[in-house]
Amino acid sequence: MKRIEPLSESYYYILLCLARGANHGYGIMQMTEKLSGGDVKIGSGTMYGATNNMMKKGWIHEIMSDEPGLERRRLYQLTDSGREVLRGEIARLRRMLENAEEV
Amino acid sequence: MSEKYKTSFRVYSAWNYQKEVEDLNRASEQGWQLKKGGCFHSRFVKNPDIRYRYQLDYGKIDNMGRYIETFREQGWEYINSTFNGWHYFRKLYDPSLPEEDYEIFTDRESLKEMNTRWARIALAMGGVLGAFSLMFLVKLFRTPDLPTLIQLVVLLVESAILIRGGLIMRNPESSRNRRGDGALIAAFLAVVLLGLTASITLRELRPDFYTSQSASSVDVPVIDNRWADFKVRYPDNYYLDLDMEADAPMTFAIVNDKGETVFEKTESDFHGEDIRLRLPRGNYQFSMSCETGYDLKCSID
Repeated sequence: MKRIEPLSESYYYILLCLARGANHGYGIMQMTEKLSGGDVKIGSGTMYGATNNMMKKGWIHEIMSDEPGLERRRLYQLTDSGREVLRGEIARLRRMLENAEEV
Repeated sequence: MSEKYKTSFRVYSAWNYQKEVEDLNRASEQGWQLKKGGCFHSRFVKNPDIRYRYQLDYGKIDNMGRYIETFREQGWEYINSTFNGWHYFRKLYDPSLPEEDYEIFTDRESLKEMNTRWARIALAMGGVLGAFSLMFLVKLFRTPDLPTLIQLVVLLVESAILIRGGLIMRNPESSRNRRGDGALIAAFLAVVLLGLTASITLRELRPDFYTSQSASSVDVPVIDNRWADFKVRYPDNYYLDLDMEADAPMTFAIVNDKGETVFEKTESDFHGEDIRLRLPRGNYQFSMSCETGYDLKCSID
């Protein structure tokens, strides 16, 4: 497996929140808070910077919602390479946890 | 209904932008709501019934629509941006919400990214100004005079302030408990103003610091060879206006005190304006020669 840089907490949660499907910034923020039991929050500045960087890296891209009531709302969606990065990170975290248990 | 407005001329240094945020929050508490934030002045409108919390972001934004929407989703109202890339946001204050809800950077990485964006530009600009001041230093050695010295000092101070700011912004923890930023800005502005005033005064009082005492306009209705002397006290680019008319080709030349020709034109009918000449300091001579009668006008400044 290609060695990848560990993701920051915000990047990790954003990718994780998109794994099940596209979501908007606010949805990602709420889901992150819920998943982490309120420990991890993603502020607007952090959210914009992270999504901007990940779009540049090609991990996520922007789509327009066509759901009724949410028309023309900006949604983020994982790309294949984004999914691979997330998988790689999860594997890395799992290995680290397993290592901790071995010691 | 008349609305009450007020303009604040408080200036903050970029590495101290958190102070500005604190002041905006305090102003809001006192009923003054920011209408438009700026580098040099900010407008406020009186409204004691609401209370906002403010945040500042810095950077070039690729997609303003997405940017504003990302903030709006979390309750931030976009106020405005300054010409140099600072963005003002506010959120209605609700005491029941935890303090983290008024942060826009929630991890160290993104805050650092924002600080680094500013620091990089400041360090680059400081570096360029530093390079310029080196040029002025060289110039000062070659032609020691007061204007060059003043320019050198101004550039050095500006460069030092930018580099210091860049370093602080890059590593904010290293310099907690700093004081006197206001005094520093005042000193900086004072130095710039003093420098400018001194340069202008000197230019008025002693124009020869800047320009040569030229033969301002030479009209020589003589057939024989003629010449006129002038002196360059300050090396610079000079601009020559030249009108020559004669029946036979005439030669106009500028010769320096070593006898080298720095400019020469042989023509029977020539009109030129703003011919640029780089003249080092020294004594020069105009010389003209022509077989027949001629009409010549020239000026240099």
